[in-house]
Amino acid sequence: MDMQGKFIPRAQLDDWLAELAARFRVWTPRRAGQEDSGAVVYLPEARQPELNRKPTESAKRVIFPRSEPLLRFLRKPDPDQTGQKSLELQVPDADGPNLVFGLPPCDARGFLVLDPVYAGVKGQAGDSYYLRRRSQTVLIARACSRALTTCFCHWVGGSPSSTEGLDVLATEIQEGFLLQPLTPQGEEVLDSKLLLSAGKEQMEAAQSAWQAAEKTLGPGADMQGAQEALRALFDNAAFWQAEAASCLSCGVCTHLCPTCYCFNITDEAVGEKGVRLRSWDACMFSLYTQEASGHNPRQDKAARLKNRIGHKFSYYPELYQTRNACVGCGRCIKSCPSRLDIRAVLTKALALSRPAAGKPETTAPATVRPAAKPKVNKPATSKPVAAKPGAAKRGKEASHA
Amino acid sequence: MAVQEELKKIILGLLPQVDCVIGWGPGPDLLCASPYFMRRPEEVDNFLAGPMATQNTALYLPEYKGKKVALVVKGCDSRSVAQLLAEKLIAREEVRIIGFPCAGVADMGKIAARLAPHGEPGEAEKAVYGEKELRITMAGRELVLPLAEIKADKCLRCAHPNAVFSDHFAGEKAAGNDDEFKDLAALETMSLEDRFSFWEKEMSRCVRCYACRNACPLCVCRDHCVASSRDPHWLTQADGVSDKLLFQVTHALHLAGRCTGCGECQRACPAGIPVLLLKRALSRAVEGLFGHSAGLDPETRPPLLTFQVEERTIKEKAW
Amino acid sequence: MPDTARRPVFEPSAPNPYLPQVATVLEVIQETHNIKSFRLRLDDEQAWAKFSFEPGQLGQLSLFGVGESTFVINSSPTRKDYLQFSVMRAGEVTSALHGLLPGDKIGLRAPLGNSFPYKELKGKNLVFIGGGIGMAPMRTLLLYMLDNRTDYGDITLLYGARSPQDFSYAEDREDWLKRKDMRTVLTIDSPAEGWEHRVGLIPNVLTELKPSPENTVAVTCGPPIMIRFTLQALEKLGFVPEQIITTLEKRMKCGIGICGRCNIGEKYVCVDGPVFTYAQLKSMVNEL
Repeated sequence: MDMQGKFIPRAQLDDWLAELAARFRVWTPRRAGQEDSGAVVYLPEARQPELNRKPTESAKRVIFPRSEPLLRFLRKPDPDQTGQKSLELQVPDADGPNLVFGLPPCDARGFLVLDPVYAGVKGQAGDSYYLRRRSQTVLIARACSRALTTCFCHWVGGSPSSTEGLDVLATEIQEGFLLQPLTPQGEEVLDSKLLLSAGKEQMEAAQSAWQAAEKTLGPGADMQGAQEALRALFDNAAFWQAEAASCLSCGVCTHLCPTCYCFNITDEAVGEKGVRLRSWDACMFSLYTQEASGHNPRQDKAARLKNRIGHKFSYYPELYQTRNACVGCGRCIKSCPSRLDIRAVLTKALALSRPAAGKPETTAPATVRPAAKPKVNKPATSKPVAAKPGAAKRGKEASHA
Repeated sequence: MAVQEELKKIILGLLPQVDCVIGWGPGPDLLCASPYFMRRPEEVDNFLAGPMATQNTALYLPEYKGKKVALVVKGCDSRSVAQLLAEKLIAREEVRIIGFPCAGVADMGKIAARLAPHGEPGEAEKAVYGEKELRITMAGRELVLPLAEIKADKCLRCAHPNAVFSDHFAGEKAAGNDDEFKDLAALETMSLEDRFSFWEKEMSRCVRCYACRNACPLCVCRDHCVASSRDPHWLTQADGVSDKLLFQVTHALHLAGRCTGCGECQRACPAGIPVLLLKRALSRAVEGLFGHSAGLDPETRPPLLTFQVEERTIKEKAW
Repeated sequence: MPDTARRPVFEPSAPNPYLPQVATVLEVIQETHNIKSFRLRLDDEQAWAKFSFEPGQLGQLSLFGVGESTFVINSSPTRKDYLQFSVMRAGEVTSALHGLLPGDKIGLRAPLGNSFPYKELKGKNLVFIGGGIGMAPMRTLLLYMLDNRTDYGDITLLYGARSPQDFSYAEDREDWLKRKDMRTVLTIDSPAEGWEHRVGLIPNVLTELKPSPENTVAVTCGPPIMIRFTLQALEKLGFVPEQIITTLEKRMKCGIGICGRCNIGEKYVCVDGPVFTYAQLKSMVNEL
């Protein structure tokens, strides 16, 4: 990174955030709650960001709110037809541009996982609500100075100073922050009289901060073959039951996760008017796949944990032909009431898929190879018909709903 | 720890008789353990008991209906078991209870607060629980936190550190404290407006993950929770404080006379919302009205699950 | 400057995929004690003129204040006076839909999902095997084929229900039984007074009918238990998994492959389905 950077003294940070707040809704990680409990959460408050503790939740709510109205509806007596009612649908007004200051780099990478999903899969329409906000949100991350024991960004291609998905990288040095623009939007927000030009020394200080942070990461892991390993374990109910034994089927992991993106759509009405909401849902909840008939394809918590991990490390990378749907932020481990460790599950899955001689974990430097390219979908030979779009792979008994 | 070793011996002895023994084992870091499900003798080596054993093992019991399991319990966990038995949600013959004198568990929030000037708990390179203190090494420096400062509040006021009933007991019974519900004082001195704004502020962090509900050993509605029911349609899915608070109030009311104060709802909350306070207020009310504390006796039905024409402690005429 | 924040593009003019079109219920048909069919039409004339779909595609019906639910459009694209949906009363939305009357307003998001491979099926013989409400998704394909009759070979329909009162589509049935260019076999589970057709479970009747797998494709929809035994019967008759087509039903919300709940491994029933060959189902993770 050799771009022209800026510097802001710590004492001036709030002034700059206030300046930005004139143009953006500025979100910062803020400490909230009682002294002995509480949390670090993202709030639309442009002051005193908590930068020494990892935010308890991810920044996804800025772009993908916990709950948002998709539309409002109103039924009125139809003046043209007695006894009938007309129906009016309104799409809520869009909110303005957002800026997040102080998110860890893994949170920014989380949006790169959400993007292809919300941009529209397989020719489907994109999600206009997400896309509008995403296109208008500026992300200023702060490089992590130390990894937590639960951090594993280096397993999935990240690092404490990753610039992926960022507009600006802020690195804490001496009495302030080095601010490096990474996009035109980033350059624009750094155009402020409050910011000083950064010198060579400050750049070097940042570099050594990044290196020091890297060193605090735990052992890396070779994630090669995770996709196939999880596929191969799909029918191993005993494995998943053992791994899910302590799971509470709550939504801590999914709701704090920067890459979990499932949602529910529900209507809330009072009389003749109401709202259709899109709100976070979780594949860990037992009712998530419950059908009206009473059938539930993921009845037990083992099946649900399998889906969550399978989605992140097998289904998603296969469907989108891209990265894993996990940025290694470790919140699902840190905040899990049962302290269920997704790394341990992955390590065991990989170990089971590898010859006994291979070690599941290496202490080699944090290199993470991209997920292996999945097997090419070979259509079955002499196939008279195929529903569109076609695909055929592993064989297995299937029933029907 | 002598008690831990004695517990291991008891567990090993019980293994052949049960589907599994539920206790605590190594967690992802050194500060807090994970629930641990032991089936093979070699797994017992990693069994842990002590301040890191935060989770309530009783939570899992209803899942093992029809199977025989043994449970290592802290005093508070044993009260949940007693309550589950009192409500006939589990069968006595299917569960073996292993008690020990609990000296209290660590509160991760308190640890975080004490460490704040130095870093956060996740940065600990080493953490060792001693008899009286927690020794944490961070950035090469050792920090000593007295256990008395980092113990969960529920432990500081715990009247039943030993299992209230057990089939096996390791170690010498420990003395308990008096619970005077002092934790409620701060809220109760507030005006109603202030109290409401306190809850509004706290609940605004709620992400509706329902860990509070799912961590509660006595939350038995499971798939028929008011939180997601559409018929009747009690709660909206909006991200508003009123819905979130309504859920907490419903949860607390449903637990009145049943909540044993294990505090798992609050411990499980990722947002650090003090949701136990609501249940504590009702527990005190039930104690005052019915002279009943939940989870002390597997034979006593909770007062709000029974009906008497004349309640012993309620003087209706006096109203 | 490195492109580190590759934001997805937002087109302000792009359609809002969650915004239903307003439609009016034209007709409500009580099919059985718990199934009703609804015929509807979009209110916006321009949108209605442009609306097209393929047999097998889905629609999300919205009752504002209650919610959305997914159904196959069971009318044929060849008969565009209305779109028809058949709804079995089961949950909150379906119960509320049953309260609709002609003239009521409803929301529609359609078409969604894939379709039957009706083009690839040209020149083939077809065996339709439907049980109960399972007739609904097949009806669209059957009507399409009858309207393009010369494109297809022999058509056999085996339609079963618990009792004579549990059959839908009375008008269609009369026509199908009369037609010389298709064979229609009706069956009920146990004898009933005045019943002139077959008695017996669908898989057993299918085995008796013994359709030849030669140049033939079987399309089957119905309750899971019926499907399980029908697949076994078809395989015994010599049908290979590639010759068997079915539709899946899953709980759906968004209908566009995002919200996550209808996945079977990396497949999403709302986008990759609802139509699958048995061969495809066998290749997917076993989580139906």
